[in-house]
Amino acid sequence: MGPVNRRTALKLMAASAAVSAGACGRQPEAIVPYVNMPERLVPGEPLAFATAVTLSGVAQPVIGQTFDGRPTKLEPNGDHPAASGSDAFTQAAILSLYDPDRSKAVRKGADTASWDGFAGEFLPRIEAHRAKRGEGLRILTGPSTSPTFFDQISTLLDRFPEARWHQWDPLGEENVLAGAELAFGRRLKPVYRFDRARCVVSLDADFLGAGPEQTLNAARFGAGRRVWGAKAEGFLRLHVIEPVLSLTGSNADHRLAARRGRVAELAQMIAARFGAENLPEGGIEEDARIFLERLVQELSAHRGQALVVAGAAQPPEVHALAHWLNETLGGLGETVEFLPADDEAPPAAGLRELVDDIDAGHVETLLISGTNPVYSAPGDFDLAELLGKVPFTVHHGLYRNETAARTTWHLPALHDLEAWSDARAGDGTVTLIQPLITPLFRGRSLFSVLGAFFGTLDADDREVLRAHWRRASGAGDFETWWRKSLRAGFVEGSAPQSVRPSAAAVPKPVAPAVEDEGYELVFRPDTKLWDGDFANNAWLQELPDPVTKLVWGNAALVSPSDALNLGIEDGNLLEISLGENRLMLPAMVAVGQAEGAIGLALGYGRPEAGVIGSAVGVDVNPLRRLDALWHATGAELRATSDRGRLIRTQEHSDMEGREIIRDLSFADFLHGTEEKDEEVPPSLYPDWDYPDAAWGMVIDQSVCIGCSACVTACQSENNIPVVGPEEVERGREMHWIRIDRYFRGEPDAAEVLFQPVPCMHCEKAPCEPVCPVEASVHDREGLNVQVYNRCIGTRFCQANCPYKVRRFNFYGYGDEQAYENLDDPLYQAAANPDVSVRSRGVMEKCTYCVQRISRAQQRADREGRELDEGEVRTACQNACPTQAIVFGDTNRKDSLVSKLKRARHEYDLLGELGTRPRTSYLARIRAVAASAGSEPGEGA
Amino acid sequence: MAQIFRRRSNAIVKVALVAVVFVPVAALVFAGVMARSRYADGIGLTVDQPVPFSHQHHVGGLGLDCRYCHTGVEEAAFAGVPPTHTCMTCHSQLWTNAEMLRPVRESLAKDEPIAWNRVTNLPDYVYFNHSVHVENGVGCTTCHGPVDKMPLMQKAEPMTMQWCLDCHRDPAKNLRAPEDVFATNWNSADGKIHGHERLKRYGIDPAKLTDCSTCHR
Repeated sequence: MGPVNRRTALKLMAASAAVSAGACGRQPEAIVPYVNMPERLVPGEPLAFATAVTLSGVAQPVIGQTFDGRPTKLEPNGDHPAASGSDAFTQAAILSLYDPDRSKAVRKGADTASWDGFAGEFLPRIEAHRAKRGEGLRILTGPSTSPTFFDQISTLLDRFPEARWHQWDPLGEENVLAGAELAFGRRLKPVYRFDRARCVVSLDADFLGAGPEQTLNAARFGAGRRVWGAKAEGFLRLHVIEPVLSLTGSNADHRLAARRGRVAELAQMIAARFGAENLPEGGIEEDARIFLERLVQELSAHRGQALVVAGAAQPPEVHALAHWLNETLGGLGETVEFLPADDEAPPAAGLRELVDDIDAGHVETLLISGTNPVYSAPGDFDLAELLGKVPFTVHHGLYRNETAARTTWHLPALHDLEAWSDARAGDGTVTLIQPLITPLFRGRSLFSVLGAFFGTLDADDREVLRAHWRRASGAGDFETWWRKSLRAGFVEGSAPQSVRPSAAAVPKPVAPAVEDEGYELVFRPDTKLWDGDFANNAWLQELPDPVTKLVWGNAALVSPSDALNLGIEDGNLLEISLGENRLMLPAMVAVGQAEGAIGLALGYGRPEAGVIGSAVGVDVNPLRRLDALWHATGAELRATSDRGRLIRTQEHSDMEGREIIRDLSFADFLHGTEEKDEEVPPSLYPDWDYPDAAWGMVIDQSVCIGCSACVTACQSENNIPVVGPEEVERGREMHWIRIDRYFRGEPDAAEVLFQPVPCMHCEKAPCEPVCPVEASVHDREGLNVQVYNRCIGTRFCQANCPYKVRRFNFYGYGDEQAYENLDDPLYQAAANPDVSVRSRGVMEKCTYCVQRISRAQQRADREGRELDEGEVRTACQNACPTQAIVFGDTNRKDSLVSKLKRARHEYDLLGELGTRPRTSYLARIRAVAASAGSEPGEGA
Repeated sequence: MAQIFRRRSNAIVKVALVAVVFVPVAALVFAGVMARSRYADGIGLTVDQPVPFSHQHHVGGLGLDCRYCHTGVEEAAFAGVPPTHTCMTCHSQLWTNAEMLRPVRESLAKDEPIAWNRVTNLPDYVYFNHSVHVENGVGCTTCHGPVDKMPLMQKAEPMTMQWCLDCHRDPAKNLRAPEDVFATNWNSADGKIHGHERLKRYGIDPAKLTDCSTCHR
């Protein structure tokens, strides 16, 4: 169009006025009922189904809530023996289900194809292999615990005896199983009973950190540290030796930072004190010696209640040593139980064997499912190139990822919430997976794809599953068994009998670590992206790492003294070189890290993750080696003055002498006489009276491990938008509950303190009187509510809130100005219909899940009864694996929240301001007094 | 030199001066009245429907209970619009060839739902729940008007926040005995007599009904 003159401008104005005037008519909205309404369904009311999602093949049992056939929220399945709370991955699974970047069609190369087209090529090929007894046929899968899958693969291998099944898990627990084999002569999976232990030693084991057993471990750990509920007889004390500060290390009472390669040496010293012979003694620094003395003394004081846990990154010898120690200390069968890991699954070969076979030209057909080796394989070999050598490769997965781009065919898979399947939970209980929604795209399950080996790609997954369990259940009346198990979500009593292994072998010396000059690279699963599988999940990308508080990227974690030596500070780009490989990533000075160790999180820098996750952070997989997956020595570092991007949600970690997190020792808790400070400053604000309920919350800091499941649960429940890296950088993240992390003490050996901070729902709320339009108001049940449709966005309330829990929509994050593709209609299906989606210019904050309160009250009203104690549970409370969050009616004297509010160690955050928060905290109880950390034996 | 202004210019200026004051005021008054009018609220306007369903015939004439079709009303936020199968319980036997019912038969045959047009609508940030109103003695016709006399469904009340609050501030007059909730011939005089005792019986605390969180989340 040419230059706009006056006439054109007037014409355009008139036209637009006419158009907008014409749009004023009433546009009726459609109501579309069913043709035939499914039974039990009431439009707009949620239905709940027991199912599970998997992490590294392990079931995370959930109750899925669906609205009109649309899953919106996953709650832990409270009846399941292994379920107590949830984790961030499980909570974020809903978002992945609706990811518009998921693969939608079968592809041959870059072209769209069909399942029939694939069957036309694949089935004759399988027939040809069958004639050769399966020679040249290879299947590569990710980790699995599914009995039906094991059954299928066994049958398959019987039919194709020359075929081979390989497994690749970049975060595999091979060392754990090999360690048990070393000690007991059998591959066993240890299950730890932290609830029965009083003294726990972690040898580089991050059992509280992200992982498939996190919730189970955290729940048991929490039970060992909770002082309410059942009578607290003692208090779990945790000693941790680790290279990089982990979630477990953050919860330690005594922690020693040591390079990963040195943990074995320290473990041998511990064993030597308990009578193990022929172990080499090494030199030891003074602080490590004190640490070990205390540790040994406490272990011996807690025979029968002691537990030594070795991490998956440690070599099998260290595991064997831990088993021997547990036996010596009377822990076998008490504090640690063992599940058989070798009886159900046929033996699988590893990635190394596959690579060798491809190299030797033995592989003609390769099916890859549920794993992304082109991205996640270590740097020893170029798998992308190797795949080119196989004549026929198939990738089956949720995304067209790095591996899919290099295979002949790509097949879309089903999300766990669309599929029929089964898996074992952390305690071994068989958990049934049923779909909450019909497949959104044209995906099929692995059962269907493996069906090709039995002649059809059209197998009915439900029937495959039922056929297996009809045989395996041994139930006389299968239909009753099936319905009962499906309804419960798990098979009762299906956890395998724990194995009582024979005596552990006397530990053999571990080959001494090669003390290379140079730095040690410590590879760690990411707390949010895991092995990179969750890279395209925006909730997880924006979830702050519990310890580093990093979002949208990874960094090289460097110890403070190394940083000093290298002359670098946060954000300096660091060049790491290891042999031929080198890469650049931003450095971050990390508290509590062993000197000479560099912490590197896996899962970042994926080239083909999707719109959200591609090219976020740096891929460190090329530095890994298949024979030493977890650490590498001899790395060289070169500091540069260039700046990389480091986005953190909390930059300041000091309490500045204020009593933000109070703590006291267990001994003081038991015998202390200090009375609760009941004095409340006077206030000019009005008083309120609550004739019915008065909601309140108590957060127990003794058991909060900082895992952040609550943050993601809240995000899912309350339609909290993702703002993207640029906006987080400006401090505009929207989480309604955050976890503040503080450090206390010397940077090299700092104590870590976590504090979840939701809205305090103050009685004398500073946000209320400053709002010019009364959008921030008190309600008659004690809630401090925010009225979105009144809010005009002055942000006075935010400025006046001492807790900084109010969040402002600077842009239309939730709708028209969403980050990247998050406004896709498919993503909108993940929204909770009970909660408004906030628009631009509106303030929002934690509501105590008012929608859940209303729903419960309306249900009670319909049923003509009063609300039960504990009937209303907030999303964060439900997700918490350690029951650190307690919510309820403070008007009821019998409610748990009232009891905890009366506890002597309950206090208000910034109580001196006189805001009288309805959310209050229980002081953190520690095994030892904070100042006298070196006195052994006390308290426990 | 000729006169620049003619005689009638005076009149024009006078009219213009009056208009400068009067027109904006009139416009404001008009806008105010319009905004509060039955027209702006859509009261009494019928909405075109794929099938001209008559509540007058089915409720007033045949005496069908509201809950026969609106099954969710006692247990859910939405009262619900009946699935095609509900229509066909009768219409597979009655008026099986009526032209008017062709969309219903086609819906069943093709397994495609009928898209009805909404008559009453609330903004998305209002969380209205039918079940609690019905449970606490607020009858259908209180908000939906005399449906038994509507050949085609029309909105009977403004459904504005002001209108909601009129009742939430003083619900007594609208409270019915439980057996009268679905009655179409309820006499509002009954509410004025027994309203306050029902308020107690239903356990309603009007003070809580005006909390923002009652309707907005």
